[in-house]
Amino acid sequence: MLDVAPRVRKYEILPSLQPPGIPAVAPLPTGESEDTRRIAERFGEAVLAAGLHHGQQVVYIKPEQLVALAEFAKTDPHLRYETLIDVSAVDRSELPVSDHRFHTVYQLRSYSRKQHLMIVCPLEDGDEPTAPSLTGVYSGANWPEREVWDLMGIRFAGHPDPRRILMPENWPNHPLQKQVPLGGEEVPFTLTWEDPEFESLGKQILEAKSAPPKLPPGMSLENMIINLGPHHPSTHGVLRLVVELDGETVVNVDADLGYLHSGFEKTGENKRYKDFVYYTDRMDYLTAMSNNLGYCLAVEKLLGVEIPPRAQVLRVIMAELQRIASHLFWLSTHVLDVSGTGMSLLMYATRERERILDLFEMVCGARLTVGYMRIGGVSRDIPPAFLPHLEEFLKIMPEQIDDYERMLTHGPLWSERLIGIGKITREEALDMGLTGPMLRGSGVDWDLRRDAPYSGYENYDFKVPVANEGDCYARYLVRMEEMRQSLRIIRQAVDNLPDGPYRAEDRKITPPPRAELDISMEALIHHFKLMTEGFHVPPGMAYQGIESSKGELGFFIYSDGSARPYRLHVRGPSFNNLYAISKMSKGHMLSDVITNIGSIDIVLGEVDR
Amino acid sequence: MTTTPVAQFSELKREQLNRYLHDRIQVPEELQANVMVTTLDKIYNWSRKSSMWPLLFGLACCAIEMIATAASRYDLARFGMEVMRPSPRQSDLMIVSGTVTKKMVPAIVRIYNQMAEPRYVLSMGACATGGGPFKEGYTVVSGIDKYIPVDVYVPGCPPTPEALLYGLIKLHEKVERQSITTVPWYRKGASEAVPVPVLGPDIFDPRKVQVIKEYTLGAAAATRGAAAATGRLQPQPIPEDVKARIRAAQAKYRAMKKQPA
Repeated sequence: MLDVAPRVRKYEILPSLQPPGIPAVAPLPTGESEDTRRIAERFGEAVLAAGLHHGQQVVYIKPEQLVALAEFAKTDPHLRYETLIDVSAVDRSELPVSDHRFHTVYQLRSYSRKQHLMIVCPLEDGDEPTAPSLTGVYSGANWPEREVWDLMGIRFAGHPDPRRILMPENWPNHPLQKQVPLGGEEVPFTLTWEDPEFESLGKQILEAKSAPPKLPPGMSLENMIINLGPHHPSTHGVLRLVVELDGETVVNVDADLGYLHSGFEKTGENKRYKDFVYYTDRMDYLTAMSNNLGYCLAVEKLLGVEIPPRAQVLRVIMAELQRIASHLFWLSTHVLDVSGTGMSLLMYATRERERILDLFEMVCGARLTVGYMRIGGVSRDIPPAFLPHLEEFLKIMPEQIDDYERMLTHGPLWSERLIGIGKITREEALDMGLTGPMLRGSGVDWDLRRDAPYSGYENYDFKVPVANEGDCYARYLVRMEEMRQSLRIIRQAVDNLPDGPYRAEDRKITPPPRAELDISMEALIHHFKLMTEGFHVPPGMAYQGIESSKGELGFFIYSDGSARPYRLHVRGPSFNNLYAISKMSKGHMLSDVITNIGSIDIVLGEVDR
Repeated sequence: MTTTPVAQFSELKREQLNRYLHDRIQVPEELQANVMVTTLDKIYNWSRKSSMWPLLFGLACCAIEMIATAASRYDLARFGMEVMRPSPRQSDLMIVSGTVTKKMVPAIVRIYNQMAEPRYVLSMGACATGGGPFKEGYTVVSGIDKYIPVDVYVPGCPPTPEALLYGLIKLHEKVERQSITTVPWYRKGASEAVPVPVLGPDIFDPRKVQVIKEYTLGAAAATRGAAAATGRLQPQPIPEDVKARIRAAQAKYRAMKKQPA
């Protein structure tokens, strides 16, 4: 492959216009909590800093003690951090620091104690920055660590499968490193015949080599190898699975991701905070509202801005409607894959989903990629026709859910294909870092809406459905009940919808109303500043997780004080849940792989980043 | 003058027929109400457009809207298109629905090469048409039309089902305008496969098509035994007039460089 340097497009604000304090390093945590004190006592010198930062427990640890800390956090009876939620990394080469270029960041969660812990591990500088792998403690660290290696170029010592995960094997760089440019469009009309680029252009288009098949590790050519995807009707997108079969029994499954890698993390680091809201729509395109909400909450955590109550309730209504829409789509495609009643249920579920999309169209003009929420509130108030239509939807929807259940729940075909398939025990689910219905289907009673409430979810009365079997049928039951509970939440939200502003009145963050621009010079200045430069977010880092329809959707943002996020990482529920496909499918039939894919409920836009 | 409606209809039909029938075509009396004369193109295109089977092929968000188009409210069956075939061998239309990444492009081109002619491509949404919101990123190609020929573009991010339907109707209109005598797929010999791109940090320049063709076909001839034997895939030399154009452009560029700005 020829090395053609991409043209760099600078989105930087001119240096002279930047306030002198920018970029700045995120401040160290202050104060202490019970957990951080305990960890600091146990590890002494190895703990570089520990305490609270934006209400989050943060521990800075030396890399030598990282694995010991994870083991301690997992096994200590007073800590009990059962799950590793997320692994990410920050490249600090553009910050005013000279050492420890890379920091790896880990998010730990204790379900039994309802605690969250952020571990930051500054790595030693060198040619190959290396961090110790946590796969020995939490097996769910496998894919996130591979992702960090792929995109950030950090090696993980002791990782069982150190391959790239999203980008192709021969990709020349690690794209999230700061010296790698965003990409750059090709500009064909500025090239001339004499340009050196022109000589090399086009030579990248080569005949596909018929190389000998490269097997994923752990597979042998003794058995039959089947290639499923990336173009396959029931992989729900461009997922590619390499399946090793003995007869018709699955021996091994290896997922090949990255066919829809749109690179939104890097794009987000080059956009102003307010501009990235629209990109979140296109991550998990079935739950655009929840993505909006998660991102806005993470930025608001850094900003410390108050959200007016009406905006909170509107956000809850939209997020819950989106959950129902997403579950309906999951149901229809899952049934289409698995059961004979497929096409009719797709038609029925789509009928109800269209009603929800109509409601979205009413509030924001778009059906799928809504972009409705803003940092500081929502983009506009609901129109007068919204509530009557919502009432009608609330009236008909419970009957429809019963209808679907009548078609499926006791159907022999449905239960035959689902019961006992894709079993995950409670311990496995915790170890692999599964979230959402995958976790609740395995008997873990956890819902971020109830246990770590955001957006005023503590004010609503709803149940968290849990099933103990851990198979596809249990997850189906959980999701069906979740739809009913979402309807309950919407009912309560509509009944208690308060009056008032629909976005924060802070003019440094939200633009002034149009009418104000005509009469107030100050409003005009605010508007101009917001639309050209955007707002600055104080230096710091924040992780905000929300309960999306597929699981925990988390946003990790590292702010350097400028108007763009310095590091933006998304913890996608589908990505982490898909890791379970190998464990779920082994020993079952090939057709059960399809059931498992449907049951995990993946959306490739989010899996592939 | 006949009065019964049936007789009136027969009369009308006969009048219509007489316009087209030459003396040599003798339509029996009892069949004259049942025969309609039209052109071969018309009946052929009508049947093709009325049962155009799309490839069941989704990439990203647009695929969700494509499914919504096929489902209950928008009902693609009205256009004879509800049979979505997962196999490219059985489908007539590829709807490129979503973000095309550098990793996915080879697969898409390969699927396109596998489709039987006549085949059509509809580029759905901003990403497939021009890269879309992720165009600045490092993995997204700026438009599928750099790689395979596209018949209809549907704008939107994602396009609504109505927009997609409009695009499909436009495609039907295009099909109706084609003629058997001029369409490329009834010419002599097999049509050439589109070269499958290989992942690289950059995207190819369409003006370099000739060079690319030479390069890729040369590589194919060198590696594939059967193809090399037939000689069909030999490298195509650059024609003399193209070479002259290149030389002229180079000279012009050199002259331009020497001039003071």
